[in-house]
Amino acid sequence: MTMDVTLNVNGQEHKLAVEPTETVVNILRNRLELTGTHKDCSMGVCGACTVLMNGRPVSSCLLLAPQADGQEIRTVESLEHDGKLSPLQEAFLTFGAVQCGYCTPGFLMTATALLEENPKPDRGEVIEALKGNLCRCTGYKKIIEAVESVVGQ
Amino acid sequence: MSCQYTQATSVDEAVSALVDANGEAHLIAGGVALVILMNEKLVEPSWLIDVSRIEALHGIDRLPDGTVRIGAAVTHREIAESQVISETFPMVPEMAAEIACGRIMNKGTIGGNICLADPQGDPPIAMLALDATMRAAGPDGTRDIPVREFFVDLYTTALREDELLQEILIPPMKDGSVTAFGKYAARKAMDYTSTISIAVRLIRNDSSGNLNEISLGFGGVGQTPMHSEEIERMLTGAAPTDALFEAVREKLFDVLEPIDDHLYSANYKRHVSAVTLRRTIMKAYDGTWEGEGVLIR
Repeated sequence: MTMDVTLNVNGQEHKLAVEPTETVVNILRNRLELTGTHKDCSMGVCGACTVLMNGRPVSSCLLLAPQADGQEIRTVESLEHDGKLSPLQEAFLTFGAVQCGYCTPGFLMTATALLEENPKPDRGEVIEALKGNLCRCTGYKKIIEAVESVVGQ
Repeated sequence: MSCQYTQATSVDEAVSALVDANGEAHLIAGGVALVILMNEKLVEPSWLIDVSRIEALHGIDRLPDGTVRIGAAVTHREIAESQVISETFPMVPEMAAEIACGRIMNKGTIGGNICLADPQGDPPIAMLALDATMRAAGPDGTRDIPVREFFVDLYTTALREDELLQEILIPPMKDGSVTAFGKYAARKAMDYTSTISIAVRLIRNDSSGNLNEISLGFGGVGQTPMHSEEIERMLTGAAPTDALFEAVREKLFDVLEPIDDHLYSANYKRHVSAVTLRRTIMKAYDGTWEGEGVLIR
């Protein structure tokens, strides 16, 4: 049985007929061609698929389309405006917080939500916010430094 | 496989869908456990009943008699930030703040977690220590189930197929009660496997220093979130000495039923559970164990 849902993704409404068991990560990647959101563990553990729903990070691999019906979703594609990266994205480049890049969109969205909610987090709060995102290249230090560098901007 | 989806807007609507589905439906709230099972193809639902948008399943309130009512679809995040709960039962927001990580706390619900009845879940053992009541809604109205009768087997609760968990009621504690939550986890975040957790509520006799009353919940050491009246009896009226905790440790080796897993053996978990129990009791008793948050590795 398909059902109609409306997903508001990065400010754009998409009316879609979905299988109720389709996950938002699959819809983003396969139907809306927003492939910035990465899919990895499909168990909510790694954080690569993190998107913001109504401003808060969620695992899009564990989010069924009807759960997101009518809700506001933001993906990593929303961070860039008119070809200009967000200060956080720039900081990730400057600090070398990106190596293979697979985890990066999840870190960016988790950190974006942190900075929106708490514009001046201390190092402990940055680490706490990022604790559920896995990176297997950087060792986290550069990611944490990149986030700290934009605090207060 | 095709799946039907009911976005329920009231308890009655969800219950009548449960009746129509005749045992074939799965309830979904935050989905952070169920969708993992779906992604792994361990569950292929033919009917999902979404209860997350039912207003009656939301809200945290203090009732006139001091009972705290938590709607089943309240998220871990809301619990972690709840002033109403922290004023009375500070152990509960402390526990909720250490579940998985932020993005799971934002979606996962206390009712979903309790109904999953995972032996390693943290909310169930907090409710065991606090003697909470699980209020179920079914075709004949609501039914109150004491939490000590709620967890019946691995991933199995006392709810019938046509019932859902509507709310959790935590009764007011007697004067002088203190609580603590302790957790021994292999990882600070996403501590899903091999986590041992302990919830404690106790009253200390200030003149004798003995434990007047004690109520406990044990996580990660059996088929269900566990309690043990035998252990509670050993501790009640006793002074928290080395000798007492040694006797409790020996008894725990009989009472607990952990399993071996890829990180820890069952015996190691028994040992860790005894250590964590002692530390958590002492944290509540006089603060002599200062753990990091609720983690006391």
